[in-house]
Amino acid sequence: MYETIGLSVAAIFTLAVFSFLYKENPLYRFAEHIVVGASLGYSIVVTYQRVLYPRLVEPVSHGQELILLIPAIMGLLYVTRFFPRIAWMSRYPMAFLLGTGMGVAFPYDMQTLVLRQIQSTMIPLYTPGAPWFDTLGAFVIVFGTLSAIIYFFFSKPHKGPFFGFGSKVGIWIIMIGFGATFGFTVMGRISLLIGRVQFLLGDWLGLLN
Amino acid sequence: MNNWERFLNIDRRWIYLLIAIVVIVPFFIRMGLPVVPTQEVRSVYDLVDSLGPDDAIFIGWDFDPGTEAENQPMGVAVLRHAFARHVPVFVTAYWPLAQGLAEMGLASVFDTRVPGNFVYVPWAEWESVRAAGYAGRDSLESAWEAAGNSLPEGARGWVFEGVDLANLGYLPYFSLVILGMGTSIANQYPTDAYGNNLHDMPILQAHKNLREVDLAVTLAGSTACMSWVVYGTSRVGLPVAFGVTAVMATDYFPYIQSGQIVGMMGGLRGAAEYEVLETEGGYTETTGKAYRGMDVQSLAHILIILLVILGNIAYFAGGFHKKTAMKNRR
Repeated sequence: MYETIGLSVAAIFTLAVFSFLYKENPLYRFAEHIVVGASLGYSIVVTYQRVLYPRLVEPVSHGQELILLIPAIMGLLYVTRFFPRIAWMSRYPMAFLLGTGMGVAFPYDMQTLVLRQIQSTMIPLYTPGAPWFDTLGAFVIVFGTLSAIIYFFFSKPHKGPFFGFGSKVGIWIIMIGFGATFGFTVMGRISLLIGRVQFLLGDWLGLLN
Repeated sequence: MNNWERFLNIDRRWIYLLIAIVVIVPFFIRMGLPVVPTQEVRSVYDLVDSLGPDDAIFIGWDFDPGTEAENQPMGVAVLRHAFARHVPVFVTAYWPLAQGLAEMGLASVFDTRVPGNFVYVPWAEWESVRAAGYAGRDSLESAWEAAGNSLPEGARGWVFEGVDLANLGYLPYFSLVILGMGTSIANQYPTDAYGNNLHDMPILQAHKNLREVDLAVTLAGSTACMSWVVYGTSRVGLPVAFGVTAVMATDYFPYIQSGQIVGMMGGLRGAAEYEVLETEGGYTETTGKAYRGMDVQSLAHILIILLVILGNIAYFAGGFHKKTAMKNRR
């Protein structure tokens, strides 16, 4: 019974959002606002249940781990943003988060996103015994990366055999990359539509086996 | 306005209608177009397939409802595969809403009305068997069945909470949580999503930190997946596999080439490929939701390709590529 009601509510909201495809209308706007409100409400409840209550309220109310009051007060300083006269106090927790966040993230990000990626382009162009498509792949990776970087090198005019030709190859490489991304994007959007249609036809109307 | 111009200015709602027809009709007229698994997906499958009850994997529900259609089938497919091989699974959630989605994914695997699913035994329910002493999964299953419990018809097996599964739920600043789990999982999650004490669970006693975990599969609709690589792979060498939306897939192919991730399921297609591999491996009788959507996906792509070609023909045949024609059009 409750499952059927839940499915019907979800289906009606799906159709309300789809009505935007015909034209903007109050039903769509209603659904949009409900999504935002419900998501926020759900997030607040889950965060309280999973984090604030078991990790702060419960131990502190039993007189344990009083050191937690320090981060709690730091967190509460965010609320001062709503009061212009003491809004400056909210900068302290922000500074703390930015500082620690940067400190923690920087070495790992640098290693994972930059150094390892650079390292993976430093590969031999030809390996004896390797199939031809591996060799072709190695050429594409090395020269594709180099030419794309040349395209984004703005301190020299893109003329001549090195910068001129390199940047031309670079823009082609970039365009092929955009094309692949666009193709995947189309696939993704259709997938999302398929998910909703499966829900409407299968879960709600029970038309699919 | 000539015919080419009229064609280029067609009301977009006609295109929406065409897409709707192409997306709805194939659900009723099945064509069964083949889905051939790619190496990226096969790598993930092979790694899960090589694991057993002594290993463990994390499945991160790192997406929100906006990408449920793409990410949820991946999660369900990997869950089924892991449970079928009795690989212990830790479930985490990057966002508050993802915790509910993870529970929906688990519920769909534990729905015994569907043949081939698993029977979920909550932590509290097998307390009496546990009190007699836990001596491994096999003896637990024997003791549980000796206590008068039997698998419903069509069910594939038991999933004991605390042994086969720990649903850890949502925690904020998940990147730091991953970092912390490198030292101790139980320190980050003293209790699971249902309030059970994790310290008592056999799954936690066997796998205390990420160094003792064999794989993390992150299902993501955002860059959240990179947290597992940045703080898991880089710090403790945790093997990570991606299940990402199609939009994101191209961004992460370089990480396969660099060996930083094991493999990747890209979009609904990736989930369908995993379902095909599971069926071929004998883990499921039939493929799931993702595979069912592939006929539709293919037809929709054909329609879009046709529209792109027709649009270009109209553009060039109408002479709009010439600057003067463009000016007149404006």
